[in-house]
Amino acid sequence: MRIRKAVITAAAPAQRRLPLQNLINRDGVERSVIGILIDEIVRARVEEICVVICPGDAALYTSVLGDQAARVTFVEQREPRGYGHAIHCAEPFTAGEPFLHLVSDHLYVGPAGAGCATQLIEAAEAENCSISAVQATREGQLTSFGAVGGQRVSAAGSLYKIDTVLEKPTPTEAEQKIIVPGLRAGHYLCFFGMHVLTPGLQVILGELLAADPNARVTLSAALAELANRERYLALQMTDRRYDLGARYGLLNAQLAVALSGKDRGEILSSIVELLAVREPAEAGHAQ
Amino acid sequence: MSRLREIITSTDAELRNQPLERFCASAGTQALLAECEALEALRRASGSLYERVRALFFLSAIHRFHLPGKPGVAAEGRVPFAGYHHLLQRRFEEAIRSFHEAQQSQGPSDAVSSALAAAYKGLAFQTLADQVRRSVRSVRGNQWMFRTGHPADDPLRLRPELLRRDPESGLYPLLSEATPVRMDLSHSGWSDIFFLGMDYPEGARVLNISIDLAVRGLAQSEPRPPVEACLRVIDEPVLRLTSVDLGATADITTLAEVFDFARDYLGLLKAAIIAAGLVPAGLEGSGQSLAELLLVITGLPGHGLEITSKVNDIPKGSRLAVSTNLLASLISVCMRATGQIRWLTGGLEESDRRQVAARAILGEWLGGSGGGWQDSGGVWPGIKLIEGVAAQEGDVEHGISRGCLLPRHRVFPLDEVTAETRRKLQESLVLVHGGMAQDVGPILEMVTEKYLLRCEAEWQGRQQAIALLDEIIACLRTGDIRGIGERTQRNFDGPIQTIIPWAANHYTRRLIERAREEFGEQFWGFWMLGGMAGGGMGFLFAPEVKAAAQERMAVIMREVKRTMDRAVPFAMEPVVYDFEINERGTWATLATGAAALLPASYYTLRLPEMLRRDTRTLTPAQRGELETFGAACRQDPALAGMVQTVFDRMLPTDEAKAGGGARSLEALLREFGFDRVQHEKIRADLRSGRIGLAQNRLAVSSTIEDVSREEVTDTRGGLAPRLRELGEDALRAGAVAVVSLAGGVGSRWTRGAGVVKALNPFAQFGGRHRNFVEVHLAKSRRSGKISGRAVPHVLTTSYMTNSPMVDYLAASGNYGYDGPLYVSPGRIVGLRLVPMARDLRFAWEEMPQQVLDVQKQKMRESLHAALIQWAVSAGEGSDYTDNLPEQCLHPVGHWYEIPNLLRNGTLARVLDENPGVRHLLLHNIDTLGASLAPELLGLHIDSGAAITTEVIAREVEDRGGGLARINGNVRLIEGMALPDERIEFALSYYNSNTMWIDVARMLAAFGLTREDLGNAEKTTAAIRHMAGRMPTYVTLKDVKKRWGKGQEDIFPVMQFEKLWGDMTALPDLACAYAVVPRMRGQQLKDVAQFDGWLRDGSAAYVDALCDW
Repeated sequence: MRIRKAVITAAAPAQRRLPLQNLINRDGVERSVIGILIDEIVRARVEEICVVICPGDAALYTSVLGDQAARVTFVEQREPRGYGHAIHCAEPFTAGEPFLHLVSDHLYVGPAGAGCATQLIEAAEAENCSISAVQATREGQLTSFGAVGGQRVSAAGSLYKIDTVLEKPTPTEAEQKIIVPGLRAGHYLCFFGMHVLTPGLQVILGELLAADPNARVTLSAALAELANRERYLALQMTDRRYDLGARYGLLNAQLAVALSGKDRGEILSSIVELLAVREPAEAGHAQ
Repeated sequence: MSRLREIITSTDAELRNQPLERFCASAGTQALLAECEALEALRRASGSLYERVRALFFLSAIHRFHLPGKPGVAAEGRVPFAGYHHLLQRRFEEAIRSFHEAQQSQGPSDAVSSALAAAYKGLAFQTLADQVRRSVRSVRGNQWMFRTGHPADDPLRLRPELLRRDPESGLYPLLSEATPVRMDLSHSGWSDIFFLGMDYPEGARVLNISIDLAVRGLAQSEPRPPVEACLRVIDEPVLRLTSVDLGATADITTLAEVFDFARDYLGLLKAAIIAAGLVPAGLEGSGQSLAELLLVITGLPGHGLEITSKVNDIPKGSRLAVSTNLLASLISVCMRATGQIRWLTGGLEESDRRQVAARAILGEWLGGSGGGWQDSGGVWPGIKLIEGVAAQEGDVEHGISRGCLLPRHRVFPLDEVTAETRRKLQESLVLVHGGMAQDVGPILEMVTEKYLLRCEAEWQGRQQAIALLDEIIACLRTGDIRGIGERTQRNFDGPIQTIIPWAANHYTRRLIERAREEFGEQFWGFWMLGGMAGGGMGFLFAPEVKAAAQERMAVIMREVKRTMDRAVPFAMEPVVYDFEINERGTWATLATGAAALLPASYYTLRLPEMLRRDTRTLTPAQRGELETFGAACRQDPALAGMVQTVFDRMLPTDEAKAGGGARSLEALLREFGFDRVQHEKIRADLRSGRIGLAQNRLAVSSTIEDVSREEVTDTRGGLAPRLRELGEDALRAGAVAVVSLAGGVGSRWTRGAGVVKALNPFAQFGGRHRNFVEVHLAKSRRSGKISGRAVPHVLTTSYMTNSPMVDYLAASGNYGYDGPLYVSPGRIVGLRLVPMARDLRFAWEEMPQQVLDVQKQKMRESLHAALIQWAVSAGEGSDYTDNLPEQCLHPVGHWYEIPNLLRNGTLARVLDENPGVRHLLLHNIDTLGASLAPELLGLHIDSGAAITTEVIAREVEDRGGGLARINGNVRLIEGMALPDERIEFALSYYNSNTMWIDVARMLAAFGLTREDLGNAEKTTAAIRHMAGRMPTYVTLKDVKKRWGKGQEDIFPVMQFEKLWGDMTALPDLACAYAVVPRMRGQQLKDVAQFDGWLRDGSAAYVDALCDW
């Protein structure tokens, strides 16, 4: 299995501006969030990229992407029928091929080397099945993520075979239904916002959307069904993900990107300076 | 290999179920001691909960019942104080070690065995409680709450439906949950106790029905779910809790307050909120902010939650698990609101019901209460069979216990138990509350213990109960309601009373007799509900007489209650219910807009406070609520009269005047000759600190030593035949009268319920329930028959017990006693005082206290803080008047009962009418073994003593002084007077308070002769003089205050007393001391002693002394 295509969703009304924000990337170059994501995808040897957007946003995205725009196909999500529907809007684009999927409001930062997308695609190509990037997450954050339960594929590896998928479970439900042996108590495998999905997923999404023409469909519901039908794995990532929509999300993401790149020294000295300016006041307070 | 170890560890059911008694009956001392060692090793080494607990109960039983009295086991021994102190602190392992060392150094003895028995039993129950706690915390779905230590970690969010404020009314939606209660057709011998289910899952089976109720005769007559819980968002950053039925409401602003259960009447709501995860248990003691947590949950700054509970007119003690189902209802509403239950409204799915039940168990544990696992049955619909489940691999219980903590529920479908059968059952059953509200706790402990010992009769009873449950299911399937009645009656008569005789009582027995007399064949059977009879009960009748039976049972209950309400603790007037089977279980609805109003009674409670406030200080939601409620009052006929009700509540009323009828406290004080001058002196002394609990004690400089063997006469090995003959001669000559002290109300026996202990029908003798007075008269009757001379018997009473005693004796024809019988009325009364905070602290912080299980201890500490606060705000040392007048008065100690005999002329009458009387046998009402033993009488006469006191060898539970040599003089000393608790443990003998008194010598000590008894003035002066020489003790007593529907609060109050034992300190009175067997001298003070008393031969010993 070879992954040539990628789908980025950016159609949620609340997050439609986030991917357009400018940050400074690892190389010290100003880049939009969507631009940084596309760079990562391209590094992972993906050839065609589709961005699912709100109707009318295409011009904005094109202007921000500049010369990257040429690689990108824009698809509009015309009805607000949920995350699953957004992905299904790209079905003509994926056209029966497996594809990489990313959300547009997260940035991924890891140690220098292979990017998250590259790791995920390599694993999917080797295992020849759908695979979701996951991260062990404290139960206090379950309200923000989809979570999976399953068994480790091999004793030492970071691959899990998924048998349950729940969207934003309560901790009570999580404790009972998504048990993953080997994880610390109170931690669950939650989605990382990055998946490699087989064409079977688009089929399931189509079925779910057709079953109730007014319902909103989540990706988790489709993935839960996928786990019943196909081999479906999770890859536990050690990289960090940054949710740009959270409070101070953009700031944190920028700091993380900058501290992992060439301007690390400059950023650290600015932080030290900031602390130093505050110091006399705090020292006085302590006395 | 040790035989008992083999029994415990065997996989063969037949061997495992062998009773302990069978082995112990034939085993010698050495064999038993060797078994104890083997069991001790087993309980230390085993990883199995069952093996450890059973070994502990075996050890406890061997030391309690089988070793004492065996050859080679000394009758006397010393219990080390260090060990006793460990025992009180619940450091059982240390206590056991200390007692073992004592056994090693002193050799085996009854005293040390009694201490070991208590320690092993304590450790056994502690192990069980720990296991339930561990299991409850480790049930999947409960664990996360104990890990959440900061509001930012809280993973729960309120469902968006609850956050949508109605723009018109300004009200947030109201989520309401209505839950039925449960009644059990059979619990197969209390098999729903957690440990039984976890150890014997195949025998843990309960048939349980969810029902709606209405109390007959009240305005609301349609049965409806008895418990309701409501939740809504409010625009204040507080947690507002309201219990409508208890009339309590509080705005909680700190997390610490949420975990403070006994601070107010909202403990159950708090436990529910924690168990539902709304305030995760891990936040206890975290110092975090409640407002921050509320912000995380609601997502709205400045907002909070309001949770309200309501019980619809069902009194306490209904045996219908009202409190557990209310807890479940509250938990369910909170879990729905936070998305932990799938559906916001309507019924529950099976997995959700199980989760709610698991959380209810957690809530009960948090609140320090604890019922059985069937109690949350109201969450499920209709009729169901609840069964224990064997632990499988993967269960948290696997490898620890044989069964799981949570049972399995199987709801009977309509094709199995038809609608017709259900209707017929409703047409036959008369459901009542008999008015008694007793604590079932001791029963549950007794059942657990007997189960583990496999007591032969109990075990057979259990098997019968299990078989009966199958028969009842068969009757349900065939629709044979009469058959059900026959079997529930058989269950009550047979297995239930075989396992726990105390589950039945005289009251229930009379009700069943009356029902049978009036309805004959049409009365189909009695049906005990829950843990014991007397409160909620069922009577099955032929359907054609049900309506009549409902009417008649109400009358019968009232009549029977009236004949015994001074002898049996009733909490309320009996009631009859209307009921219906609830076929949908717990059910929730969401009301929005103008319909989102709470129950009317909520507004009666909350409105006055809101109306008194300045309108500008009301929040928008409160203003909206007032407007909406005002509009509803004008339009909704159901709310007509609300304005008047609220208005009445806002105006002050004088409750004393409103109450009318009852005799006022002032009138009672006048009638009983209350001495105001002395009272004011005591109050002044108390306030100034001259008297108090700490001041009861002798000076620390006193020398207090144990007596030597020569200073007492040991009668346990028998006495010279000469003494027996001397005694027999005296009895034939009519030289003795018996004086039973019956002035007390047995505070410990009924936990301050204020009934006359002497008249409490506590046990069955000669085929029916008998009270203490009957037992003592039966002994005098037997004695009189043997000697051929009727024994004069005097019952001394106090202001509290006099008129019931006279009435009951008259109604029963002196219980058939044909000898001379006298009642000596008490003449002195005290008025209780609000205690000093100083004394409360002394009692709770300085005196050795039994420490409780962690959660219960937390409850108690919180309660103590609240009570100290109460004492301060009520005014320390002021008169205690906030209760029924009778509960504000107190008897002033048994010292006065003898002078009363002199003053009220009773002694003069006894002597006039029975001129041969030279001696009195004086004993406490609860010393059931005290009898006119001729050899002891002979000893007393022969010694020439004025008073011969009977003492017994001290065991661990004998607290409260004893026999000592004080500054060189042998005398009795009260525990309160000992400067140090340790001293008591060095005293070999405990005072049984049974005394042989030489009348002439006693009168001489008062400075009187027989002839002076006619001279009132001289007698009174002599008594006053003697009273001045006797020390006054200040004591704390628990008094119940009843309110609402069977609710009870217990308050500690101060009173004073003088005690007869102090007479032995008079240098001019010759006293002798006789050591008597334990069964003769022991007192039955506490209900918890009762089962041991029945089993260790004490009951049989007493029975043998009686003539029925």
